[in-house]
Amino acid sequence: MILTGKSLPRRTFLKGVGAAVALPFLDAMVPALAAPARAAKVPNRLAFLYVPNGIDMRNWNIATEGVITGELPRILKPIEAFRNDFIQLGNLTHNSGRALLDGAGDHGRCSGSYLTGIQVKKTTVDIKASISCDQIIANKIGHETRFASLELGMDDSRQAGDCDSGYSCAYTNNLAWRSETQPLPPILDPRVLFERLFGTGVVLSPEQAERQARYRRSILDFVTGDTKKLQSSLGPTDRRKLEEYLSSIREVERQLEKAETESVQIDPGIDKPYGVPPDFAEHFKLMSDMMVIAFQADLTRVMTFMMTREGTSRAYREIGIADGHHPCTHHQGKTDLMEKVTQINEYHTKQLAGFLQKLKDHQEGDSNLLDNSMIIYGAGLSDGNRHLHEDLPTLLIGRGGGYFKPGRRVIFRRETPMTNFHLTLMDRMGVPTEQFGDATGPLDPAEFS
Amino acid sequence: MQEGGRGQARPPIGIAFEGDLGQRIDAVLAIALLNGFAAKTEARSIALTISRPSLKSAQFTEVLARFYSPRPAMIGVPEGAVPANDEPVLAKALSEKNAEGAPRYTSTIKRLLDTPDNAVLIRNNLLAQHDGNARIVTAGPATGVARLLALYGARPQIQAKVERLVMTAGSFPGGPPDPAIAADVASARKIFTDWPTPIVVVGAEIGEALPYPGASIEKDFTWSQAHPVADAYRAAKPMPYDAPAPALAAMLYAVKPDETYFKVSDPGTLSVSNDGRVRFAPAADGKHRYLIVDAAQKDKVLEIYTAMVSAKPAPGPGRGRGGAELESEP
Repeated sequence: MILTGKSLPRRTFLKGVGAAVALPFLDAMVPALAAPARAAKVPNRLAFLYVPNGIDMRNWNIATEGVITGELPRILKPIEAFRNDFIQLGNLTHNSGRALLDGAGDHGRCSGSYLTGIQVKKTTVDIKASISCDQIIANKIGHETRFASLELGMDDSRQAGDCDSGYSCAYTNNLAWRSETQPLPPILDPRVLFERLFGTGVVLSPEQAERQARYRRSILDFVTGDTKKLQSSLGPTDRRKLEEYLSSIREVERQLEKAETESVQIDPGIDKPYGVPPDFAEHFKLMSDMMVIAFQADLTRVMTFMMTREGTSRAYREIGIADGHHPCTHHQGKTDLMEKVTQINEYHTKQLAGFLQKLKDHQEGDSNLLDNSMIIYGAGLSDGNRHLHEDLPTLLIGRGGGYFKPGRRVIFRRETPMTNFHLTLMDRMGVPTEQFGDATGPLDPAEFS
Repeated sequence: MQEGGRGQARPPIGIAFEGDLGQRIDAVLAIALLNGFAAKTEARSIALTISRPSLKSAQFTEVLARFYSPRPAMIGVPEGAVPANDEPVLAKALSEKNAEGAPRYTSTIKRLLDTPDNAVLIRNNLLAQHDGNARIVTAGPATGVARLLALYGARPQIQAKVERLVMTAGSFPGGPPDPAIAADVASARKIFTDWPTPIVVVGAEIGEALPYPGASIEKDFTWSQAHPVADAYRAAKPMPYDAPAPALAAMLYAVKPDETYFKVSDPGTLSVSNDGRVRFAPAADGKHRYLIVDAAQKDKVLEIYTAMVSAKPAPGPGRGRGGAELESEP
């Protein structure tokens, strides 16, 4: 780090041996005499958070259109505090998720097409999809950040085998595709993500990681010199911001250490990567805390997060549900199973609330990180029982730098391609694109203002 | 709307129909004819769309679709402002009451948002068909099919899926301007120039020569207490009358092109004048033809018209009843 007395470069790192900690957006990064427009320029961020097996639409869709008033549906109640921060979009459809002569395999198709917008090839061998919209963005703006994009998950990253009626696991377990044959597997292990964000990029074996963990010091210890140097040159507001940011990294480290300890103690034979917390909420918190840090420090502007893989039969014993998620969604109208689906959906939005709060808590100039983001929360199926690919549950959370006016439910015409929404998002990320998948054009801006 | 898998046997031909239902009763009859053949598993209705932004047309088409099949039906409608005096003929048919004073027909479509864009609906449903196993029939302005053709990536899909396009247009060998074509000359020209598969047009003279017999309405539809086709027919004009029906001929030809119900012209090329006249120039390598009445087949065609238009739906729960009763079904 070199301090020149001028404004601090946006991409400043606190460096130490084997560590590089990017900085959040600080006032010191704005030139003192900058024009207001330049001073206010904060990057837009985009993250897709994907939940599998559809959502219980009875408890998802807001009853009225326009400005959100009255009680929120049950699944959205956990994010009640953010009712003025999101838009619920209705009627977006992925036609390419439908069978279209390919028979069974809606789970494989819906996740495969979710961000690629095309009908994926039904195969377990010679997979074929298309570049995903997040990667189109990453290709264009990725050079501006340390990582062009980050791909995260929490469930399963197998890339081979049959995960749904002849569809490769590459389709159910990935959202991001670099090219039509190259998916980008998600990082599942929080330690791996941490090392990626702040380390040298070397992925350790479980044994190495454990050995290192015994003697581990905080990554912040390695950058103490740079930290002190920087602190002395900052104003009181920036100093507070920096302290909060470094504390959040330290907090993630503590969570990681705890998870790793528990992982060893509780179930040494568990078939999970080293350091993956057994508890869903803890795992989510770790991953999402690091997502916040990655956005905060402008390490990347594009992320995909597959909360669990499409078609997962994960049980949610944390909330007393021993049945698999997928079997529950095929409830065939049985009320007890339907109730379990609703509870799982609620559990997911409870986790989402914590993530949103952290984004909102981080100030960026006159706004906050959530305002300068587009967090897309949704699924590739609506009704998981019937495998419907229309009216896909979709929330757009954040203001996208002020473009979107949230706090509303917006319904589009039936069969409106989801890819039209992707065009809108690409445009807002500064990557206007004319054609993508089966898109007919970006969504009408008038619907968002 | 979805066909079986790629490896499975081909189902009957799939027909996508776009019609100007509020302006011409033959479009209503054409949908009924298609469903008559569908009941005999000789054809499938894969998409129903209407030519102009009209809520009443969409509602009525949905009532028709649900009369014949209990499956939820999406009706494609072009984007645009719905006129204040929206299709009075269909509005009248939709306002019919039953003996208890309740609406005879109800629709789930309450506003334009409840419908998909017509071009998108046809495109989406074509993708679910085997190659060459779909035909499109239009009876109205060419706007919808021109927009379909303009959708990104649609042209190769049309080429693969749509065996031929059958349009009601003009008069042959020559005649006055066609109001439906005149309503959007640019789109008609685009279709005649760029459509990638064969086109067969059905002129007004076919409709005049083979009108739907009005007498059929009073005797062939009595099997249902409330029949939307009969109610729309009565609402369209004072009875009795025989309705000119080019759309019906177009549909019959599209379902059974290999039968000898009609003659077909030699190949040629269609063009459109600025006032909406459709002209045909013979050309050995042309992709266009027009339908010709075969006087010897007239009685047979009319017999098929009445039998198929008034046919009962295939057996199944909720079929052949008013929309209000269908509404409560799962």
